[in-house]
Amino acid sequence: MQSATISRSTRASRIAAGLAVILVVALAAAPWWTSSANLRLFTEFMIYLALASSWNLLAGYAGLISVGQHAYVGFGGYLMFSCVLFLGLNPLYAIPIAGVLGGLIAIPVAFFVFRLKGPYFAIGTWVVAEVFRLSAAQMSSVGGGSGLSIPVSAMRALGSKSEREILIYLTAFALCIGAVVVIYLVLRSRIGLALTAIRDNEIASLSLGVPIGRIKLAVYVVAAAGTAMIGALIFITKLRISPDAAFSVNDWTVFVIFIVVIGGIGTMEGPIIGTLLYFVLRESLADLGAFYLMILGALAIVIMLATPNGLWGLVVKRFDFSLFPVGYRVRGLTPKSD
Amino acid sequence: MKKRYTMNRRNLLTGGASMLAAPMILKASRASAQGASFKIGFVNPSTGPLAGFGEADQYIMTAAQAAMAGIENNGSPVSVEIIYKDTQSNSNRAAEVAVELIERDGADLIVASGAPDTTNPVADQCELNEVPCITTVAPWQPYFFGRNGDPATGFEFSYHFFWGLEDVIANFLNLWDDSGITAKNVAGLFPNDADGNAWGDPELGLPKPLAARGYNMIDPGRYQVMNNDFTSQISAFKDAGCEIVTGNMIPPDFATFWSQAAQQDFNPKVVTIGKALLFPSVIESLGARGDGLTTEIWWTPSHPFASSLTGETAGQLAEGYTAATGRTWTQPIGFVHALFEIAADVARRAEALDDAYSVTEALAATNLDTIVGNVNWGGGDLNPVKNVVRTPLVAGQWQLADGKPNLVITNNKEAPEIPVGGEMKLIG
Repeated sequence: MQSATISRSTRASRIAAGLAVILVVALAAAPWWTSSANLRLFTEFMIYLALASSWNLLAGYAGLISVGQHAYVGFGGYLMFSCVLFLGLNPLYAIPIAGVLGGLIAIPVAFFVFRLKGPYFAIGTWVVAEVFRLSAAQMSSVGGGSGLSIPVSAMRALGSKSEREILIYLTAFALCIGAVVVIYLVLRSRIGLALTAIRDNEIASLSLGVPIGRIKLAVYVVAAAGTAMIGALIFITKLRISPDAAFSVNDWTVFVIFIVVIGGIGTMEGPIIGTLLYFVLRESLADLGAFYLMILGALAIVIMLATPNGLWGLVVKRFDFSLFPVGYRVRGLTPKSD
Repeated sequence: MKKRYTMNRRNLLTGGASMLAAPMILKASRASAQGASFKIGFVNPSTGPLAGFGEADQYIMTAAQAAMAGIENNGSPVSVEIIYKDTQSNSNRAAEVAVELIERDGADLIVASGAPDTTNPVADQCELNEVPCITTVAPWQPYFFGRNGDPATGFEFSYHFFWGLEDVIANFLNLWDDSGITAKNVAGLFPNDADGNAWGDPELGLPKPLAARGYNMIDPGRYQVMNNDFTSQISAFKDAGCEIVTGNMIPPDFATFWSQAAQQDFNPKVVTIGKALLFPSVIESLGARGDGLTTEIWWTPSHPFASSLTGETAGQLAEGYTAATGRTWTQPIGFVHALFEIAADVARRAEALDDAYSVTEALAATNLDTIVGNVNWGGGDLNPVKNVVRTPLVAGQWQLADGKPNLVITNNKEAPEIPVGGEMKLIG
């Protein structure tokens, strides 16, 4: 008779969780120990990590390979501009509004794009983003194709330069940690179990009674709401919006896919590793101009060929280790020796 | 075995943490540099669709850096450093690199050029972060009004020099009067972007002044940038019997329009387009169809100006560039050089180089004869609004000689000090 225990975490993951909490606390206190240049960099890091995490939830777990998430980044950005220009709102208050409306608009969008499967879904989401871009270009009240700038007075109202930076950093921090925590909790819930099943085999999970349609819709709406909130924040830091900048497929979708794919799709840790790597590459190579983009592309190809599960997949394969344990493991079983 | 895993895990986390902390350490060690220094951040597109504007950047920057070696401020030498950032022709990236220059490199002054997509995001970041900024190579209306500029108050930290729509309209009208064409319907091609919306605007753009001189604008509406079908526009122009075509386009859109016009048998006699026809490489790519196209001219080697920084004339600057790179001169060369002339002048005059307000004060008080003409933000005739100086603009034509395109100034009514180089001829 053997006794087996089932647990989510391992000793390693508990230690890692402890260190992660320390890191998060340190990052929350970043405004008090780092320069404003680094604060900007951290803000951008948080923004990309949040974007990557929500795309990972969509593509890695729900199997919704969307290449049109820039639709929601741009939507959030334009909504923030509208709130500031027409309602005179504090730009930061526009972020939750962008989240709610981004989630709402995702429902009718889902109605259309969910009729498409696989590659058609991917193209469909891109088309939706293009429709968003062209619509924004037609609205002359928000600058049309020319774009417009946020009034300097609206930004100055947020406080002095350092107050503004701290406020924006903490917002980015809250959005990013919020996104990671929400996704972690979702994945540990019943929905997470269903998502893991969908990720591994959609037809098999359907035959076991997983309500695929409803779960996918929920994930799509949550990802859209998160992306729209991040979009609003992005354009608070950019100060200027134009349809090409807001709905830039390169900036808000291609780089995000790159991050998730090289980090490890379908894992919580992948986007973190990917974002770290992306920023290291960008900070060291961006001055090379076109070569920088070629290096990024070559690297993505090499990693996809060498380790299809990304860099984190390499770690998992060798050490069976997880920073964010979302599955279960059985301990204590040993093979019978007779 | 087990122990080794633990080490690896720790290494990973420490590695991650130190990666995050590395920029801070770098910053701390860099800040120790001492002495009177002046850092100029230079933002320009050198890759992507706007790359033509940044083609000569490296040459001009190196020459300017060398020329600024002996600059003195308050009697003591200043070490000037120019830090270059490429925008990849992306306005998001332009905002990002401007912030990097301000925050990480500690730029004391930022200069930028190359279409509103570069100048506006850079100037916006400078204005908010209280860093003085000089921009050029974008008509002043999209620069000023595109940034919510209020003519009554203007901006505090951002300054601009270039011509405006009023100049380009006057020059285009002069060209058309020269052509002797009697058909008064003018075809207008304007994209839905910052320049296109400004040029085509019924109140502030081309239509009104055209009507005042007896021309009638046929405007089929804004098209999306990178359009691949101009059939409806072309048939509207044919129906109206247009013999003159004008607009503001990017080179790929113009190439599409111009080849479709030929296919659909639309043969205007005068084609005067802003922005698309600036660079010899574009004209070369059109082959024989590039002959006779007309455009606005902001700077040529025959402009009668000289650099306050190096003493070179416009012709010498262009020759130096051709000798060093083997490439033909382009119009932005003069303007990018002028950015550094003003920067050097400010570095000489500012009371305290490390104080943004003092540098801005010196910038606002600029009165300098540059290689593109006089730049003075003091409130004269050439300041349509605060923060903007208009530079002289003429018009001319691309004429093929032995298959090589030459840009010839054919009308100088708006700036008589700039010599005319030839006569205008009709297309076809």
